[in-house]
Amino acid sequence: MTQRLRIQLGGQAPAAGSAHFEDFEVNLPSGATLLDALEYIRTGVAPDLMYRHSCHHGSCGTCAVRVDGKEVLACLTALDSLAGGIPVIEPLRALKLEKDLAVDPGALFRSLPKNTSHLRESEVEHYIRFEDCIECGSCVSACPVTARSWDASTGKVEGFLGPAALAAVHRESLNSPERAEEMRTVAERPDGVAACEKHFDCSRVCPRMVYPGKHIEMLRREFART
Amino acid sequence: MDYFDVAIIGGGGTGAATAYDLALRGLSVILFERGELTSGTTGRHHGQLHSGARYALGDHRIARECMAETLILRRIAADALEFNQGLFLAVDDEGESLTDEFVEACRAADIPATEVPVARAREWEPRISGATRRAVLVPDGTIDAYRLAMRFFASAASRGAVIRNYTQASGIEVTGGAVRAVAARSLRDGTETRYECGAVVNAGGPWADRVAALAGLEVPVTPAAGTMVAVEGRVANMVISRLRRPSDGDIVVPQRRLSIVGSTQRKVEDPDGLRPLPEEIELLLASADELVTGFSAQPFRAAWAAARPLAGRSSEEGREISRDIAIVDHGKSDGVRGFFSVLGGKATTLRRMGELVSDQVAAFLGKAEPCRTAKFDLAPYADYWRLP
Ligand SMILES: Cc1cc2nc3c(=O)[nH]c(=O)nc-3n(C[C@H](O)[C@H](O)[C@H](O)COP(=O)(O)OP(=O)(O)OC[C@H]3O[C@@H](n4cnc5c(N)ncnc54)[C@H](O)[C@@H]3O)c2cc1C
Ligand code: SF4
Ligand code: FES
Repeated sequence: MTQRLRIQLGGQAPAAGSAHFEDFEVNLPSGATLLDALEYIRTGVAPDLMYRHSCHHGSCGTCAVRVDGKEVLACLTALDSLAGGIPVIEPLRALKLEKDLAVDPGALFRSLPKNTSHLRESEVEHYIRFEDCIECGSCVSACPVTARSWDASTGKVEGFLGPAALAAVHRESLNSPERAEEMRTVAERPDGVAACEKHFDCSRVCPRMVYPGKHIEMLRREFART
Repeated sequence: MDYFDVAIIGGGGTGAATAYDLALRGLSVILFERGELTSGTTGRHHGQLHSGARYALGDHRIARECMAETLILRRIAADALEFNQGLFLAVDDEGESLTDEFVEACRAADIPATEVPVARAREWEPRISGATRRAVLVPDGTIDAYRLAMRFFASAASRGAVIRNYTQASGIEVTGGAVRAVAARSLRDGTETRYECGAVVNAGGPWADRVAALAGLEVPVTPAAGTMVAVEGRVANMVISRLRRPSDGDIVVPQRRLSIVGSTQRKVEDPDGLRPLPEEIELLLASADELVTGFSAQPFRAAWAAARPLAGRSSEEGREISRDIAIVDHGKSDGVRGFFSVLGGKATTLRRMGELVSDQVAAFLGKAEPCRTAKFDLAPYADYWRLP
């Protein structure tokens, strides 16, 4: 199957050129994914194409990109689902662009409260050890508040911790009751729950059904109660 | 001019563990990975923390090594692992008659394998095959492939190792029979930089032959593709393996809220751009159904392939450290001093691979420090990205 893709190239380093779009054609069998298409392009006409990937099955959280403005995991996006047009592939917003589709996830990891991003036993189904959030950054990119507050010159989002971080804060307050106070202090900061405008784009794009928007609402309700 | 004691080529788990090991010994280290870290084989493997049971009937030394590393990783990287254990199921005549020998072989390799009544196994895992005749409990587990390797990167970086992703080693300079420098090209801006160094480690995994070729050398590695299929939902909590001599599609590994069956093996020309074949996917799903009822009826999630470096093993002096892991000292074998290749291994034994090659590199550089990577808890994986 032949598919054209419009990919954002360039970006950060001066020598990489400023961001622009180029069209690529891939020829892959049915069942192939958007990540396979990027691999096809890198191993073919564009060896320097930069994008992030690791697990190829939706576990590691590295491969999130935007397709026609919506955040997806490239490794779980069937190429067939993009047929019939030329999809526009862009890097995530609100994270520092490295080049092409690769972003630096540093700001996301720095926003997460320390030690909550560790994998730990989930309290819901005791036998599932790993938390659901794979730290893919999709919610941070989709959120209109983080996107608006993003300062490309500093590489920081000012004024909002972001959906992934607040979901982690809520989760941690449940997982570790002894940290509930500490987590509450974080959530009550002006750049915490109060900065959320309830757009819920975070919950719509989250590939692991963490529903960060729901976690933020739960925090909000807890504040109202006490 | 930048100088590093050691330049490592390859940013998978092996390179990560080597960088950490050498940095702990007080050596200055730079590591080059041409793509994102762990974008080679390391991020994509099946995710089984091997107790060694799978290898017990074949080679007790590999089995013993896996068991030893399992215990170490549980200590130093607990939050990148699941402590979910494994069940080996005999579902046919072959398995049934092999069971006693299998348990004995595990025990001989210090793997605490215990046969359990099938009814008990079914209490733990209700969906195991109705054809199960015997069941053996082993200390297998699940690895978060990406996060385990990133803990080694975070630990290496915190000890001062310089990690360069999106940077491809493009040349290895050899003068007077010794490595002198590595040239590396940044994908970010296309510039090439020369880094002088005292030693070079080839941690190229299935690309190891291509990396060795940068120094004009050959290493006996042939790439092979292995396919895996993930479905939604945990069909089992434990790792479920088929009790028989190792073959295709005989392991189901649960990972987060997924279940993954693997794998297959097929020789390929190029470890890059691998795609699973439809017949491999079919075979894997059918094999999984023989182990766990209704595996293939779970919603399909992903099929992908990873490259395995099949080692053409050689018995030349200094080459064979263990059956599974080979360290080549190219000073001894090819007259290029200071160049070492680390070949083979598993994700489970990444730390051990780092130790074995670092022992040789440190000795070559005259550094008497021992390996200490088994002693300390690794840094949290998020720390790697947290650092500004
Ligand atoms: C199908 C399959 C299933 C597996 N399942 C398991 C399992 O369940 N449990 C387990 O313990 N093990 C498993 N393994 C084994 C395990 O995945 C590997 O042993 C391990 O990932 C190898 O790591 P590595 O760092 O040696 O290689 P890689 O991760 O491949 O790293 C090599 C790196 O070198 C880079 N590179 C190449 N050339 C250059 C260059 N010129 N410059 C810079 N960088 C370069 C590549 O991009 C690559 O990232 C499996 C393997 C396969 C194939
Ligand atoms: S909450 Fe969902 S979208 Fe946000 S980082 Fe975690 S997995 Fe990604
Ligand atoms: S490559 Fe890991 S989530 Fe897509």
